[in-house]
Amino acid sequence: MSEKNTFEVGLSSDAVKHPRRIVFITRKTSAKVKEEVGPQLMSFPHVILRETIAFQFLAIVLVVLALFWDAPLEQLANPLLTPNPAKAPWYFLGLQELLHYFPPLVAGVLLPTLVVLALVVIPYFDINIEGEPLWGHRSSRRMKIYLGVFAVLFVLLALYDAWTVLVPTVLVGVFGLVPYFLPTSESRFLKFLGSQPLPWWVMTWFIAVALTLTAVGTFFRGPGWSWVWPWS
Amino acid sequence: MNMPAEPKAPEKQEEKNPVSRRDFLNEIAGGALTIAGLGAAVVTVKYASPNVLFEPPTTFRAGSPDDYPVNSVTYLQDQQVYVVRTDRGMWAMSAVCTHLGCITQWKPDSSQIACPCHGSKFQRTGGVEAGPAPRPLPHFSLVLGEDGTLVVDKLEVVMETEILKV
Amino acid sequence: MATTDWTHQRLEQLRQTRVWRSIFRRGPARTNRTRSLAVFGNFALHTLPVKVREKSLSVRATYYLGSISFFLFVVLTITGVLLMFYYHPAVPDAYRDMKDLIYVVSNGVFLRNLHRLAAHAMVVAVFWHMFHVFYRGGYKPPHEFNWVIGVGLLMVTLFLSYTGYLLPWDQLAFWAITVGTNIISYVPVLGRPIRFLLLGGHIIGQNALLRFYVLHCVILPLAAVGLIGMHFWRIQKDGGITVRDDHE
Repeated sequence: MSEKNTFEVGLSSDAVKHPRRIVFITRKTSAKVKEEVGPQLMSFPHVILRETIAFQFLAIVLVVLALFWDAPLEQLANPLLTPNPAKAPWYFLGLQELLHYFPPLVAGVLLPTLVVLALVVIPYFDINIEGEPLWGHRSSRRMKIYLGVFAVLFVLLALYDAWTVLVPTVLVGVFGLVPYFLPTSESRFLKFLGSQPLPWWVMTWFIAVALTLTAVGTFFRGPGWSWVWPWS
Repeated sequence: MNMPAEPKAPEKQEEKNPVSRRDFLNEIAGGALTIAGLGAAVVTVKYASPNVLFEPPTTFRAGSPDDYPVNSVTYLQDQQVYVVRTDRGMWAMSAVCTHLGCITQWKPDSSQIACPCHGSKFQRTGGVEAGPAPRPLPHFSLVLGEDGTLVVDKLEVVMETEILKV
Repeated sequence: MATTDWTHQRLEQLRQTRVWRSIFRRGPARTNRTRSLAVFGNFALHTLPVKVREKSLSVRATYYLGSISFFLFVVLTITGVLLMFYYHPAVPDAYRDMKDLIYVVSNGVFLRNLHRLAAHAMVVAVFWHMFHVFYRGGYKPPHEFNWVIGVGLLMVTLFLSYTGYLLPWDQLAFWAITVGTNIISYVPVLGRPIRFLLLGGHIIGQNALLRFYVLHCVILPLAAVGLIGMHFWRIQKDGGITVRDDHE
């Protein structure tokens, strides 16, 4: 029975003596094979317990708010009398603000459809899996495209006087340029900006515009969709 | 030995019938399911479109021309219609904003018709003066009935130039 | 102490009964084996993975936004079903029912407040969940399709909230829906037929209210339940949620 040990089963830990190739990670494949599993916990009870706590916390907050904050109820619906201003639910006020500037086909149909399509294709079009920063290569071609898109957006929005879209667009656009001109800055915030890839910038721009439009539509629009200050 | 001849026979048959029985039945079944599905969809859409509607009538009487002073814009609230009278004559016009269907309001101070929803402004003639409204307010047919009262038909949209001379 | 011991003994006896063992076909979840069985042998829990990465449980990894969205959906289902006891989808009864809920029905105003609050909170939670998942890279392979299901759930959430907005039949409801449905009529070719089908007529009236009611209480919740089930199940099948090194 001493024959049993004439061969070895198992993996050598000496990479020079026994080279092993696990997988190639090329530029276009996901690096998920590298992913470390890390320590694991049993779902029962760890997940169940945490979710229960989250649920209880949420329930308390909801009940307290519902006790003190009454849902609004206006007059009986009257098709003959439009309240001034007539506002949609808050999550559509960004859309209503767009409808103020652009023709309904563009603001009401085209833009929402494009947003939904863009959201759906995100995981299929994001080929920048390594998360390479926007100005990682300091490519001048990329800079030309960036400035071109920015200029087209600027002119279009200015033509329609859509300045509540224009302001967040300009802000995000300018912030996007900062890491290009200050690549060696020591500031933590600039380092953070400089490490972000293109999809991050597009999504941040979208959120900035959506938040501005919703906030303006909710708080700053009065009769006839004119500008009012919420405190006056 | 006839063995080599035997496998040939089915091959010949396959050449004669390039579609196998299984494929044929699969396609028939798939086609039948598609047709049944489409039919069900069409029937459901048909079912969901009402044939008889209980909606308010579109023709109404608007009183006598004398009720409307010269150079006035009168809003008939029940019908959502403006009756405008100038020295040139009279016309009836929709009060529903062409943008998104809010009810507009006549502002005598600025001689404008204003929409409360998205800030569109119209002239007395219905033309767009400002805001996102894509079209002027439509004019409705306005005729003098035999009994001397005005009759407006909201289904019949007429040209802006058609003005009832009084 | 004596009473707790007594309770423990009774519980233990209950666990030994035939009825209990016919419902939970395992012993108490004290070993990893029985804890695994507790998850995948249970209908309500089987969409969960048996084990999760410790990092994915940190608050900063998720802020529990997905769970919170789901909890809000549960709260909305319960309060919504209760509200249905007193609601007639008719003009103008619907509005009177609102008044009744506020002034006549015991705890009616609380249920209505809770429903409305949870509805707004769910829209916020779902949006926030989506943005958070995006910034954490949770849409990357192999999670692509689950992201698409998530976008579908966002649409269903918005549509649920929007159809619910009409039901009180007050001025707020009527004009928000007027503006919203007129946008649909700008869709080329199909716009007007779609609006006609949705409203069951040319104006927002009795038919429109009934259709929005059916969409809000039956069709959309069913769609949501189906998509939520798929969404949870896919998290497990795609190998758990995305964790990054900085989730400590």
